[in-house]
Amino acid sequence: MKNRFPFWTLGLIGIILVILVPVLYFLPRADKPANDPYAGLPEHPVHVDHKDIVQGEFKTGQDVTRACLECHEDAAADLMKTTHWTWESKAFDVPWREDDVTIGKVNQINNFCIGTQGNENKCMSCHAGYGWEAGKETALAQEENVDCLACHADTSVYGKGTFGNPAEGVDLLAAAQSVRVPTRENCGKCHFDGGGGNGVKHGDLDESLYFPSENLDVHMGKLDFQCTDCHVTENHQILGRMLADNYTIDPTEQVSCEQCHTNQQHEDERLNTHLASVACQTCHIPALALEDPTKVFWDWSQAGLEGRVDDHFTYLKIKGTFVYDKNFAPTYLWFNGDNEYRYILGDKIDPTKPTYINKPAGSIEDQTAKIFPFKLHIAKQPYDAANNYLLQPVTSGEGGFWTTFDWDSAFKLAAPITGLDYSGQYGFTETYMYWPTTHMVQSSDNALQCDDCHGENGRMDWEMLGYSGDPIEWGGRK
Amino acid sequence: MNKTSTKLLIASLLLVAVMIGLGTVYAKPEAAPQTQASPLHPTFAMLDADGNNVLTSGNPVSTMQTCGQCHDTNFIQAHAFHSDLGLGDYAASKEINASNGIFGEWDPLTYRYLSQPGDERLDLSTAEWLMLNGYRVVGGGPADTSRDGKLLTNVKPDAGNPEASILDPETGEAKTWNWNESGVMEMNCFLCHTENPNLEARLEAIKSGDFGLANTATLFDSGLAFQTEDGFQWNQFAFQENGEINANRVFIQDPTNANCAACHGEVHPDGDVPLTINACDLNYPQTATTGQVIAAQKISESGVNLSGKDDLDRSWDIHAERQLQCTDCHFAPNNPAHALEAQDANPDHLIYDPRKLEIDEYLERPDHNFARGVSAQFRIAPELKSTMRRCESCHDTNKSHAGWLPYNDRHMQVIACETCHVPQMYAPAYSSVDWTVIRLDGSARTECRGVEGTNTATDLVTGFQPVLMQRTDLEDGKTLFAPYNLITSFFWIYEDGNGNLRPVRKTDLEAVYLTNGNYAPDMLSALDADGNGKLSDAELTLDTEAKQNLIAGKLEMLGLNDIRIYGQVQPYSINHNVVDSKSATRNCATCHNADSRVTSPILLADSAPVGVTPEFVPDVNVTATGSIVNENGALYYNPVNENDKTYIFGHNRISWIDWFGALLFLGTVVSVAGHGTIRYVVARRHDKRTVETKPVYMYEVYERFWHWLQTIAIVMLLMTGLVIHRPDMFGAFSFRHIVTIHNVLAALLAINALISILWHLISGEIQQYIPHPYGFIDQMIAQAKYYIQGVFKHEPHPFPKSKERKFNPLQKITYLGLLSVLLPLQGITGMMMWMVQKIPSIQTWFGGLPFLAPMHTLMAWLFASFIVGHVYLTTTGATPLEAMRGMITGYEEIETHEPQAS
Repeated sequence: MKNRFPFWTLGLIGIILVILVPVLYFLPRADKPANDPYAGLPEHPVHVDHKDIVQGEFKTGQDVTRACLECHEDAAADLMKTTHWTWESKAFDVPWREDDVTIGKVNQINNFCIGTQGNENKCMSCHAGYGWEAGKETALAQEENVDCLACHADTSVYGKGTFGNPAEGVDLLAAAQSVRVPTRENCGKCHFDGGGGNGVKHGDLDESLYFPSENLDVHMGKLDFQCTDCHVTENHQILGRMLADNYTIDPTEQVSCEQCHTNQQHEDERLNTHLASVACQTCHIPALALEDPTKVFWDWSQAGLEGRVDDHFTYLKIKGTFVYDKNFAPTYLWFNGDNEYRYILGDKIDPTKPTYINKPAGSIEDQTAKIFPFKLHIAKQPYDAANNYLLQPVTSGEGGFWTTFDWDSAFKLAAPITGLDYSGQYGFTETYMYWPTTHMVQSSDNALQCDDCHGENGRMDWEMLGYSGDPIEWGGRK
Repeated sequence: MNKTSTKLLIASLLLVAVMIGLGTVYAKPEAAPQTQASPLHPTFAMLDADGNNVLTSGNPVSTMQTCGQCHDTNFIQAHAFHSDLGLGDYAASKEINASNGIFGEWDPLTYRYLSQPGDERLDLSTAEWLMLNGYRVVGGGPADTSRDGKLLTNVKPDAGNPEASILDPETGEAKTWNWNESGVMEMNCFLCHTENPNLEARLEAIKSGDFGLANTATLFDSGLAFQTEDGFQWNQFAFQENGEINANRVFIQDPTNANCAACHGEVHPDGDVPLTINACDLNYPQTATTGQVIAAQKISESGVNLSGKDDLDRSWDIHAERQLQCTDCHFAPNNPAHALEAQDANPDHLIYDPRKLEIDEYLERPDHNFARGVSAQFRIAPELKSTMRRCESCHDTNKSHAGWLPYNDRHMQVIACETCHVPQMYAPAYSSVDWTVIRLDGSARTECRGVEGTNTATDLVTGFQPVLMQRTDLEDGKTLFAPYNLITSFFWIYEDGNGNLRPVRKTDLEAVYLTNGNYAPDMLSALDADGNGKLSDAELTLDTEAKQNLIAGKLEMLGLNDIRIYGQVQPYSINHNVVDSKSATRNCATCHNADSRVTSPILLADSAPVGVTPEFVPDVNVTATGSIVNENGALYYNPVNENDKTYIFGHNRISWIDWFGALLFLGTVVSVAGHGTIRYVVARRHDKRTVETKPVYMYEVYERFWHWLQTIAIVMLLMTGLVIHRPDMFGAFSFRHIVTIHNVLAALLAINALISILWHLISGEIQQYIPHPYGFIDQMIAQAKYYIQGVFKHEPHPFPKSKERKFNPLQKITYLGLLSVLLPLQGITGMMMWMVQKIPSIQTWFGGLPFLAPMHTLMAWLFASFIVGHVYLTTTGATPLEAMRGMITGYEEIETHEPQAS
């Protein structure tokens, strides 16, 4: 019997199973979210230090790029496929135009500095390339014109000047040796200061995000996210599309909360009933421009006045009058991710009514749309009084408005560049531009609560949104 | 500022005023289509008491006439306890209370006493009562009707009648009051049905005794009327040509939370302005007495200097945040939109009775006896108690607690929703009021809980945890633990010359304590411990009998008889400031612990008059089964849940059972250790010997399976049971998980036992357990003798083990008792404790849980002791481990009958 297999161990296993199985079956389980957002928490591996790899000597930015391409062979070719290089969207078939159109800084206008055409000397300081002036096609076609340093160099040793060339006096070797994965500083140089200064364009992106406090943005502040943690980049193709520079946006091209917060249900069932109609951003971004003010109104018609004193936040002779606002509630619209309309250069306008530079798509009937927060920027900008379309002046370019303060010559100068006739008569008309708000996200303790939207003091204009009244009493959309 | 610039300023201000005025006047004729203020209510004429338009008469408005044009104001007034305030129930009494409403029921917080006819000393006459309490008097009832139902204007001025006189503060004597001069207050519809009633102007009119103006003063901000130097004037421009008010002046609305707040307590409608609170301010009675604050604002965003405020990122009241109005639960009972189904009035099969009032019928005669709860502090309109919408009218607790709260039904049987969902109050509230002394400003010495000081913006506010007491719900008779604030008051009472028991008047108290605006010298010498000529709150306490005798003596000298101090404790129900599941109490250990939330004491008073134990006010639906204890002069109320026939696992235990059980267990351990040691020593002294053994297949596979499953289950049950019994000693375990494991194991044990009974019956093995009666006791004695003597001498077992007879007589009787008595009993008591949630009546059998649970514990100790003895006795086989091996492998070496010494 000595060497017999101890059959009693089978019995023991059986007994343990008989106990364990029902106990585990009945044991109360905490309702863990199906997906843990912390699993998406980025890791920031130490980047290869290029200090000993990169050798000089560099006379021009193009010299640096050539050096980069020795190892990163496809980098320039990849980048040149992206909108960071082309500044132009793919072609869209829009219902109000016969031909397909593309949208981007390269050919369209906004209601801030209006347009880049003829103004390359200033505007191209935010282009990820060198030497974009007249004859842009040739400059664009050269791989060596890709500016690697704009996104990869330490911003404390590199900066850009006119036509996108390195600023004068930049130590290109030092800049090239400092390269690394892009940080908030790299992206921020253009995206925080777009429109001519800190916080001008976006209500949710400004220089306060260089060193964000915990309460400014839960991702960047509390968890030290970098831009590329959400704007995931592959082969220099950066995830995320700018609404104003597109007509429709494929959701797969867009950054979304659901990248990490999948099936993220609130503990409170009542909050979950909101998810079909309310975007995450609506409650979790209660206010815009929390620390630094953002521009909400820009009146070009007041530009060029003699004798008025310049003040960054209210008046500049070259730009006109402004209104900045800080820590204010966004404008709420139904939004399905696309534009319903995007002003295309040459589109006719009714100058007596506000013109939409872009109009987010969505309505209460659109089941894919949710209520979404926007920064609304209102401007008074020039239009051709005879042809009834918006005009793009030459401002920073040679002989432009910023040197002559003469609108007429600025429009005449622009006409051959934009290809849009100028009748000789101009006026100023009101335009609306909507900027979706998705940064400066707040954790639940600072998110909106019921009474922020519902009840007498609520911030929502329910009837404008298409409801009969406050849905807390009138019910939600069908 | 020099004179010229002052003049210039005045002139320019005047100019601006004129321009605004002109602008207003010139704007009038071209008045664009006016936006109607109220979406539903039509324009109407303002009538005075005679039914004439106020524009022509210039008189104050009469709400009964004005609103009575369309609404049945007489019906409304007759169905409104907010108007009645106890008048309808008033009955003169030799005892202190004369009614169940604030008109006639004495409140030690406000202290002044409404004198009854025949009282020797006049304290509050009706007129002065109105002046003092007017801010929470709606009008009608005692404001225009006498205690015997006459119009007050028909009561002749009479200094001897508390209804037609007033105490003259100068002389201390009663003087006459003429109601025809002061006017009376009709039920003030505007107070609750307009957006911005002018509370200040109304209160000013009431305090100055100008009762007839009070309702008109409520309109002073509405643009309809404005105050002038010698009274008021109607604003002609606010009226149309036909005498009706302009459409944009129709400000009538459903009562909002702010309307209710005017009388009840702190309500904060605006989310942006930080909420501030005055600590224990009786102008906000509900907040001052309970700490309840109705606000949607996050606590962390309020202006209150709360400890740990940053983490309190939730609203003060979840229902306020979710936009509920007071009237959603406290509705007019005949409101067809709100009425609750009186299901018991319907035939059983009828789920819904559609026959309701039409909206116009309701609007003509809205019942103003609003649905109400069962609060302990308000005794008015007892017939309406428990008519309101309650938590369970809207929330399904089974669904809302599904998945995490074990024993949901049982918890709901004993705990009110508020207990877990109002875990903490964040505003201060009164804890005690001591009127046996008086401060220089004429107030009592008061204590306020939840704040270290008095100012909630600068002093640290800690809030407080309400005490849990047993609330009996009227509707279903359930008795539940529910949260309360307790306010203790001390005051002098006396018997007047007419044999009436009355609180000592404030004016008499002042006469004793004060002279010429300062404390009387004898008071200072008796009370001023630090000799600084002032009496601090710490000194203002009658903490010796000498001090009490001094005051009592002085009161007697004023002619008061039978002077004594009375102390009472009034529970104040807490039902608002509800939190959602995230912030509610949801840790089992909060209650299931040695230090249980259920029995958390509450401070009654930091200092109290010596020798006075306050009594809970009688006739409320709250039972105080705990005890009031005095710790160094401070009084505490200690709840004792055992007195409430509840048994909280992990908190309650019967100490003698645990002592007995533990001693039994230890005794067994010591016995077997001693027995074993002796055996070991004796065995070593004897020479080694070998015993002839032979292997026997003793236990079938099933027997062994059954035995070991049972063993593991029982051992684990004992261990999990111990955790449930003493969670304070095993804090590392999750109470909830351990309870579940215990229950599952118990079920397994029961199933195992049932199957084994079948097996034993079918196989006939059951006979092994049944003692043969003949000679059994002798056999038991023989076996016992063996354990006491023979086993040491290696004598053979008197009843050798064999497959056919596995058990010796002692084993037989023990196993029989264990398996047929102890195990079933333990199972049944456990099962009953488990089933009490589905079959609540179990709670009434044999004393319910307070009996079952200690029984279960006692038997657990017996099991534990048995296991020790049982395991030890297995070592008495051929070799110490042989019996164990047998139970594991089935084969056991059994001694043959002829043991031989070697």
